Amino acid sequence: MASGFLLINARPSRTSALVLSWLLFAGGITAYFYASRARHRDNPDDRVMPTVSQMAQGMVNAALQAPEDEEPVPETAPLATRFFQSMLWKDTRATARRFFYSMLLLIPAVVLGLHMGLFPYIGSFFLRFVLFFDKIVALSLLPILFIAFGIDELAKVMLIVIGVAPTIILDTFNLTRSVPPEQLVKAFTLGAGDFDVAYRVVLKQIMPRVLNSIRLNLKAVMLFLFAGEMIASTDGLAYRIALMRRHMGMDVIIPYVLWVALLLFLVDLGMKLFNKALHPWFREA
Amino acid sequence: MPLIQIQNVSIAYGKPPRTVLDRIDLEIEEGEFVCLLGQTGCGKSTLLRLVLGSERPGGGRILIDGREHRQPDRTRGYVPQKYSLFPDKTVLDNITFGPEVSEFNLFTRRLPRYFRRRRELREQAFGYLRRIGLRESDAPKYPDQLSGGMQQRVAIAQALMARPRILLMDEAFSALDPGTRKEMQRLIRDLWKATGTTILFVTHNTHEALAMGTRVIVLAKETPDAGSRVMLDFPVPSPCQDHEIPALVDRLEGVSLAISAIS
Repeated sequence: MASGFLLINARPSRTSALVLSWLLFAGGITAYFYASRARHRDNPDDRVMPTVSQMAQGMVNAALQAPEDEEPVPETAPLATRFFQSMLWKDTRATARRFFYSMLLLIPAVVLGLHMGLFPYIGSFFLRFVLFFDKIVALSLLPILFIAFGIDELAKVMLIVIGVAPTIILDTFNLTRSVPPEQLVKAFTLGAGDFDVAYRVVLKQIMPRVLNSIRLNLKAVMLFLFAGEMIASTDGLAYRIALMRRHMGMDVIIPYVLWVALLLFLVDLGMKLFNKALHPWFREA
Repeated sequence: MPLIQIQNVSIAYGKPPRTVLDRIDLEIEEGEFVCLLGQTGCGKSTLLRLVLGSERPGGGRILIDGREHRQPDRTRGYVPQKYSLFPDKTVLDNITFGPEVSEFNLFTRRLPRYFRRRRELREQAFGYLRRIGLRESDAPKYPDQLSGGMQQRVAIAQALMARPRILLMDEAFSALDPGTRKEMQRLIRDLWKATGTTILFVTHNTHEALAMGTRVIVLAKETPDAGSRVMLDFPVPSPCQDHEIPALVDRLEGVSLAISAIS
């Protein structure tokens, strides 16, 4: 058999796999620093590609200084106090709160999908409507939401729910339908009632896949959340990024973008570990 | 009164409708071990699902203990060929699932008496585990950590733990290797003798039907387009001795050949 690194049957060693997985990161960072240095050589006041020290300073300021529209925290205050009064913490907290409410509102979506998949009358009642709703571009509803719910929190949370809930409902519906009918019949013959079958047999079996589906939709959740925050908000990570855009504050925008990515990565990792701990029987395909 | 009465039952599928079962009449007494035999596609599993209540007949009716049952319930245990165990539950939890789910709902599972009862049920489950030839160390395993034969053993224990009056088995051993299959046949026959549960066992293996059942019912079609009917209702000498089986197999297969020749 032919051998070569581009073949389907190629088996990279552990070290080469590790090196390959970090190569694009290293390349991207190197390219950025090279371009940034070149721009700063031409124009020391360049704001498009800040240097590492500028970004570090921007992040330290964001993490230790209060937002511009609030009273500044004295520099002599303890570090923890400065951090919890800081722009970064307040923005993160505001975004996290909206994110948390949206995730809570996805629970009814899972329950609805489960019932649609199991109870034929509920399925007939909701399926066509949810399929139609799923095709509506959620961002096009934004003006309607702002008119209907005002520009407060509710409109932003509703945007996320409207954007992501139909996908979660349909995913849960399909997962429910994929449970072998033998399992349902078996549960009935063992004495289970309709709700036992729904919650003690089917939901337990599909739960790890539902959590994976929510994990895959985390980016969509953040996308809708950021859209809402950028258009109508007075705090939040996306609000700050939009605000900094007006001042060309790339020294804050880039660290904020990386911070958001890190947070999302940690939420995803947390959900993955939670899923694994909660469902030790589940083997991912 | 017979425990199971199948009265003039017919069922058709598809468009245009294709009759699968045509005016089936059967009576099964309590404690019988009935094997439903027939070629693939003759409607054995359909008849089993009709008795189970997961499907409804197009014509006729099925009475269990004199009553029509329109849904699967505790009176009839079920062991399918595959997907017989809940993958999210351990072996022990699979076996105790029946009594637990029928005695405690989502809310009463928080009461102290639930935990007392759970301990009793676990003791009983360990008893079943030993009877089906599994070790106590298998109790915390999940179904995908067991072989096919072990999974089917657990499925039988799970069904019996719920103490059904009727046990319906749909080609339950067909995915097993010959050695394990033989072992399972012996096991189910022993459990039937010990518990007296009425068993309706679907198989396409003549030898298996004769080695296990007290009665063999052959379903077949009279013509290729017709629905299946009961072609033979055959009491097996009980207990059927190993040396008698080959002659009986010849006799049954002779009848099957004759039926095929007619159709």
